[in-house]
Amino acid sequence: MNKDQDQLNILAPRQMKPKFDYQHREAQRAAGRPLNRRQALGLGGMALVAAACGSTTTTTSGGGGPASSSSSSANALAGKPLENHLEIYNWSQYDDPSTYAKFKKLPAEASVGMTVHETYYSSNDELLAKLHAGGTSYDIIVPSQNAVAELIQENSLLRLDKALLPNLKYLDPLFLTPSYDPTGDYHVIKDFGITMFFFNNKIVTEPLSTMHDFYMALPKYVSHGRTNLLDGAEEVVPLALMALAIDPNTTSQSDFSTVKSFLLSIRKGVTTIDSSAYINDAIAGKIILSQGWNGDVRRIVQGRAKQGDITAIIPHEASEIWADNWCIPAAAPHPVAAHAWINWLLTPSTAVTEMNYHNYKIPMPSALSQLSPSLRNDPMFNVPHSYTDNYHYILNVSPQVVEARTTIYSEFKAA
Amino acid sequence: MAVAEKTPEVAAVPVATRRRRSFRPRYPAWLTAPSLLYYVVFFLGPMAILVAFSLATQQGFGSLRYGFDTSQYGLVGTSLYLTIFERTLLMASVGTVLTIAVGYPVAYWMARYLSTYKMLALLIIVVPFWTSFLIRTYALKIILDPHGYLAQDLGINVLYTKYAVAVGLVYDYLPLFILPVFASLERMDWNLIEAATDLGARPFTAFREITLRLTLPGVVTGALLVFIPMTGEYIIPNILGGGNYEFVGNVIGDQFNEAQNQPFGSALSIALMAALSVFVIVYILFATKEEQFGA
Repeated sequence: MNKDQDQLNILAPRQMKPKFDYQHREAQRAAGRPLNRRQALGLGGMALVAAACGSTTTTTSGGGGPASSSSSSANALAGKPLENHLEIYNWSQYDDPSTYAKFKKLPAEASVGMTVHETYYSSNDELLAKLHAGGTSYDIIVPSQNAVAELIQENSLLRLDKALLPNLKYLDPLFLTPSYDPTGDYHVIKDFGITMFFFNNKIVTEPLSTMHDFYMALPKYVSHGRTNLLDGAEEVVPLALMALAIDPNTTSQSDFSTVKSFLLSIRKGVTTIDSSAYINDAIAGKIILSQGWNGDVRRIVQGRAKQGDITAIIPHEASEIWADNWCIPAAAPHPVAAHAWINWLLTPSTAVTEMNYHNYKIPMPSALSQLSPSLRNDPMFNVPHSYTDNYHYILNVSPQVVEARTTIYSEFKAA
Repeated sequence: MAVAEKTPEVAAVPVATRRRRSFRPRYPAWLTAPSLLYYVVFFLGPMAILVAFSLATQQGFGSLRYGFDTSQYGLVGTSLYLTIFERTLLMASVGTVLTIAVGYPVAYWMARYLSTYKMLALLIIVVPFWTSFLIRTYALKIILDPHGYLAQDLGINVLYTKYAVAVGLVYDYLPLFILPVFASLERMDWNLIEAATDLGARPFTAFREITLRLTLPGVVTGALLVFIPMTGEYIIPNILGGGNYEFVGNVIGDQFNEAQNQPFGSALSIALMAALSVFVIVYILFATKEEQFGA
């Protein structure tokens, strides 16, 4: 490390230390980028990258050295030319095709002959595995909130240059600094949703309004048909914690044992634990009581409109809010183009097109007001603040917490 | 061999300058290098990584410190994972027994009573194998659906239970059992049965004393051929079990995907391999026996 050369003494609150450390490392990472990528190709690249980051001190990268002091790294991209390619790693069918076509035809992008290439993943785990294995050729990734927090912790994300994102002003300020990125420097929200539940109102006749009500109804109605919980350790355990009014991101062992005995007590009431087949099965009328993500539940309610037997509940009190986000990996080869892409997605007219395409809410008031009333006034799409104010983001707090959740999840399934 | 080596010596006597020749096919050993390389890189390599993972310590998400940390293997012995191992082996055993119960009569019937249509029957047994395993399992889900004919008309509603997993195991692995058993039944000399009955043996005694004994190596081969992959099953419990009857494979998947805990996931995988090795050894013993007696 070139400590003697770049030593800076900064008086700042103690909790800022990790941030400064990160900026320092990021500058070095950017400087050593060509070496890192080549080394990362080999097996066991992760360890080598770590070693290379520690030993590389040169700042002779092609673009003229991003930073000689950590404080200027945020503006590293100022004045850099727009690259002519953009590599996106995204969930499949998550953006309107016209969004890409129009992006390439924007004046600046057209003049450099911008090309866009996109590949897809189907889970955050797949994204993280790819990045951990040394996948460094991406300019844009779309991690969910827990993966964002994890990637920030690993120093894998580029600090965004706000000067290149003037359209950030259109976003609802409440979504700029969420718990998973408290400084708001590493992500721009793409869209968000919530976890809710639904039931067959011909069978479940009592009023259910909270997640706790939902869990309590499971053992009561399981003999009348199939009940379902959303699958995954990061759903099963934190959602149950929230039903018990406990912080879903708790690290406390006693909270874990409380939630474990709660989950085991309702185990007999759960027919299936599934997150993918439940949509079609519910539309076919095979599910009487289940959790679901708001976009999916909207489809189910629409699919059962003729029968009118599905009641969807946006829970009062705590539930999950999740968000997918635009992020730029620290080693992105085309960072200026990546910023241009994010800024383009923050244009209100683009946001309208996007929301009409994927039906997930982008927290952008000026775009929401342009939507058709049927979409805009649907609480399952445009979830009111009065609900989401009580909701929490589920995060991968630490490997120990994730392991504790996974163990409870395995025990729950094995019970 | 001895003859082949002697001949050139005799031939070498008259012409002294002539090189000694062997008539054995002489393939230089290095010709195996490409396949050995493939084996090392794509078979031993991943195994070595798995072992290295299992002995590493988890540092943070996605980062490991490599060393010699055996604590993950200690965790494999906790009651939760022992239950899951027990369950997996039990269900694979039940699946194997059911496969034998369904497969043996079919193979017997094909080998003994079919002549013209023997090949056609064999084809019908094998054809489902040409379809993706995943698709076949999903297809079975439709048959077992609680809103389907089986459940509504016959009252058999087993989807998302261990019974559905057992049905899935038998369905997906049946051809793997029928083929080796059919092969050993094909080699049977049915005159032996005729002779036995002529000598007063009742049909069942003849079957037990002759047919079963002669085809036993085929049955054991077939049984292990289905038992081993059943133990490592992931898709069937996932699709048909609805999260209610999970195998070790599913738990390993959760450790890699959900917990991002490669060391523990790897340790579980190696423990499963060790458990399976016992059965593979049994298989090898029976396989050599079959060669010796030529059933």
